[in-house]
Amino acid sequence: MSTTARAFRVVTVLLAVLLSCTSGVAQSGAPPLTLKDWLTRVHQATNHKTYTGTFVVSSGSVMASAKIWHVCDGTQQMERVVPLTGTSRVTYRHNDQVITFFPASKRAIVERRESLGLFSDFLKTVNPSIGEFYQFSVQGTERIAGFEADVVHLVPVDRLRYGWKIWSEQRTGLVLQLQTLDLDGQVLEQSAFSELQLNAPIKMAQLSQMMAQTNGYHVEHPEKVPTSAEAQGWALHKEVPGFRALGCYQHPVREPVGTSDPNNRAMQWVFSDGLSSVSVFVEPYDARRHVREGVSALGGATHSLARRINAWWATAVGEVPVSTLNAFVQGLERSR
Amino acid sequence: MTDINNLSSEQISSLADGGLGASERAQVVQSLLSSADGLQTWHRYHVVGDVLRSAELAPLGDDHAFWERLSKTLALEPLYPNAPLQDDAAVADTVIGVTPTAPSRVSANDSAWRWRLLAGVSTAALLIAVGLGLTPVVAPEGGAQMATTTALPSDLQVVDSSQGAMLRDPHLDQLMAAHQQLGGHSALQVPAGFLRNATYEGAR
Repeated sequence: MSTTARAFRVVTVLLAVLLSCTSGVAQSGAPPLTLKDWLTRVHQATNHKTYTGTFVVSSGSVMASAKIWHVCDGTQQMERVVPLTGTSRVTYRHNDQVITFFPASKRAIVERRESLGLFSDFLKTVNPSIGEFYQFSVQGTERIAGFEADVVHLVPVDRLRYGWKIWSEQRTGLVLQLQTLDLDGQVLEQSAFSELQLNAPIKMAQLSQMMAQTNGYHVEHPEKVPTSAEAQGWALHKEVPGFRALGCYQHPVREPVGTSDPNNRAMQWVFSDGLSSVSVFVEPYDARRHVREGVSALGGATHSLARRINAWWATAVGEVPVSTLNAFVQGLERSR
Repeated sequence: MTDINNLSSEQISSLADGGLGASERAQVVQSLLSSADGLQTWHRYHVVGDVLRSAELAPLGDDHAFWERLSKTLALEPLYPNAPLQDDAAVADTVIGVTPTAPSRVSANDSAWRWRLLAGVSTAALLIAVGLGLTPVVAPEGGAQMATTTALPSDLQVVDSSQGAMLRDPHLDQLMAAHQQLGGHSALQVPAGFLRNATYEGAR
């Protein structure tokens, strides 16, 4: 551990001790001392809890909401998400298996999301040095959706990532509300439970049965092939501080009907600093589709940046500042 | 002491300070009104007085020259927006190269008049096309997160937004969906990140 990290940890410990003394939260749900400890606790909250509630996402001027059912017996997790806004759809999750039903078109999309496993998988996704890139502090308590919550601040130490303000249920650590803050501390996006019932009487078997009812649906498995950037002939000549490569995939490029080329495949190289992630897509340059270089705002904290690199078209997408996306795209180089 | 058309700067100063008698005041004012130099001196003395009383009142420069420059600049501005769509990319390019730390506020284009104009025209064209049954309505459900869009002949599509109609690139929507499916590697992923992505379709 570097001197800075050690100093930061000492400060964090002192701050946490000070807070626990002054705000009287030294109980079973007392805030843990480090960011990693706290994240672990947040994750564990979903492993042993059953709850139902209404989840609201506010991004820019757009609002979306969904009814949530979550059940976990310590070894298996199941979730049912029924959005109340937008396209009619229902998403079920069983550990890392996700299926989304679209009743209007009678289609069901099946995916596997590696990052959504139980505790053992979670440890792999978190950068061990995450504490060096965010200042972690617990600043008092507030009441959210009828529960007392610790207010956790994660302030980035540089300008390559956004900050977070998180309301975590005091006894269980469950995230009740989450804000993404821009470089000036303004809220870019917010998610929250507007209503929550812990220990709700939900049966896993019931959700499992609903998830398996694909009769009458055309089930699709979007193709993605694990690969490596090296195998695809790409490298990042300058790393972006704090971000680690977590995986690289290849999938077909969906093109307008009649123009599809089965050999046209995009590479998706995924990076994360533990809290925010960036996908770097590289595909063959196509003058018909690739017309707009530059930045696009995709809503809330998510941006994209596209740039042509000779015969290639690179697009970085992520919930990070534009300058960070630029660092990824500028750092790309052809290795063969 | 300089004579300006029979006026001395001392007389002007006294006038500014209110130190002249009624008859002399009328005479000095009369002379002052017929003298451009005298008026300039009169203005200068008032500025000096203002600055002595309060630094905040000090002008920052030659306001006449400023207004002249502003008028010239305004005259060069187009009377109505006629910039092509690609302007957005050009603007974005400047963001790429110049400000490594500037937070992006690209969505602020909603307030740009030309975007509203363009979006309005596109929406009208879309409504007509859909009304005539000419345009296939595409509901891209390839991923749970994709915005519902309607196909247009170009690469860009009109998306109904609560901020008004916006132009969206379906290619970008695909990439965003792929990012949310594979790239949502966050320690806050369970539950908040996953719930967020399952709840929120993206800017619509």
